[in-house]
Amino acid sequence: MTRKAAITVLGDTEEVQRRWGEDEYRPDYIAAADAAVSFRPAPGDRGTEIHVDLEHGAPGGKLGESVLKLTGKEPLSKVKDDLRRFKARVETGVIPRSDGSPEGELAERKIKQRPAQPLPAPELEKAGV
Amino acid sequence: MRANVWSGRNSVSVENVPDPTILNDRDAIVKISSTAICGSDLHLYDGYVPTMKRGDVLGHEFMGEVVEKGTGVGNLEVGDRVVVPFPIACGNCWACRHELYSLCENSNPNAGIAEKMFGHPTAGIFGYSHITGGYAGGQAEYARVPFADIGPIKVDEGLSDEQVLFLSDIFPTGYFGADLCDIQGGETIAVFGAGPVGQFAIASAILMGAERVIAIDEYDYRLKMAVNKAGATDVVDFSIDPDIVEQLKEMTAGRGPDAVIDAVGMEASHGHGALHAAERVKQATRSESDRGHALRDAILACRPGGIVSVIGVYGGLLDKFPSGAFMNKGLQLRAGQCHVQKYLKRLYEHIKDGNIDPSFVVTHRMELGKAPDGFETFKHKQDECVKVVLKP
Repeated sequence: MTRKAAITVLGDTEEVQRRWGEDEYRPDYIAAADAAVSFRPAPGDRGTEIHVDLEHGAPGGKLGESVLKLTGKEPLSKVKDDLRRFKARVETGVIPRSDGSPEGELAERKIKQRPAQPLPAPELEKAGV
Repeated sequence: MRANVWSGRNSVSVENVPDPTILNDRDAIVKISSTAICGSDLHLYDGYVPTMKRGDVLGHEFMGEVVEKGTGVGNLEVGDRVVVPFPIACGNCWACRHELYSLCENSNPNAGIAEKMFGHPTAGIFGYSHITGGYAGGQAEYARVPFADIGPIKVDEGLSDEQVLFLSDIFPTGYFGADLCDIQGGETIAVFGAGPVGQFAIASAILMGAERVIAIDEYDYRLKMAVNKAGATDVVDFSIDPDIVEQLKEMTAGRGPDAVIDAVGMEASHGHGALHAAERVKQATRSESDRGHALRDAILACRPGGIVSVIGVYGGLLDKFPSGAFMNKGLQLRAGQCHVQKYLKRLYEHIKDGNIDPSFVVTHRMELGKAPDGFETFKHKQDECVKVVLKP
């Protein structure tokens, strides 16, 4: 089972890496897992590849395991959430939200979607919108 | 507000749901003036699309008036009359920059679900299950339109709703199907399915300069519309003779059509994951697994070196793909959900210039509250139904 995740972000590598480090953009889960993160230019006009390795981060593997036990979730899916949200924010400026997934890409939500109908105010608040 | 929601297999109901609100700077709220039932809504209605939830607001063909907008929507003003494309696209990602809007990399917040099903996520779509994002649809009084600075097109008051409504999906989708055929002039194009999308594929192939366009269907009234309204030059009625491939070869003196458009598709399969989906398809009734015939026949009928263009919706796996014919005849297989945003301006000009009046497909007009009747009439092709328009 691979413990790696990757995404391609349309943007200059220096710029993407700089944003990754900013408080506003920093992917919380990956930062906490202290995984090994590398940035490299993608071929052609594709932008920047971000590679996350949960096995070879400083204490990443171990923390990954404990999170797995705590939440019952494969931490890799949380890493992927973070990567997708980062990509969306850098490329579009917003977190894409639907009615079924008002929080944006979220592993827990994939199992328990809301109906795709507009959210009442209390649910919006709960979803952090 | 009132909205038409999915309430289980073969069941929709018009219910009161909360009004949509702006969730992002790039959102707009549209007060809907007209909306339609799409053939692909029937896949949801029939229960063949996984990841539907009771209460999902349906509908991805709609237009109306902008009543509210986020700070990031600079191109629209409150009061603008707009048609909204069915794929939700950010305009910023690599796919959008290459006009592959239905493959937007950011607009589907259920990318993880879509990835399991298709290997990669595809764009968000209004009212079209949770694999395509879980967005509330437009068979309602209002809709939230994400990335409203990219999708919606402003339309003149001089044109009626029914003339421009189908810019949202079926006109561009039919046009896209014809565009994939690389029509240079003089070709023979066969179109499987004379439903609303097939009608526009036929009309578009003619617009592009095809010399013969053959409509294939089993309903005489649809074939008549294809000839009288869309401009088909020939028809194959397979309720009379089911051997479509032989008839197409005979009509083309053995050559086969230069390109074949599949505007039928297959009832999408159930379950998560490709293998599970395949098993469910095999469990399905014989008639449903037969739906793959359109694509198989398209491949068998197409002339060597020709193009098979797939715009009918598929959802899972297909048994008995004619790989021998496909490979040895050197065919090109092209497909996709339409990149509506790419075609909007061009097709809007065609309508304004009077080259086409898309309202010819409308056979039924109903109040939104009658949506359940509309679904039944459309599904069972009662009363010579081709297209149902709903008025909120």
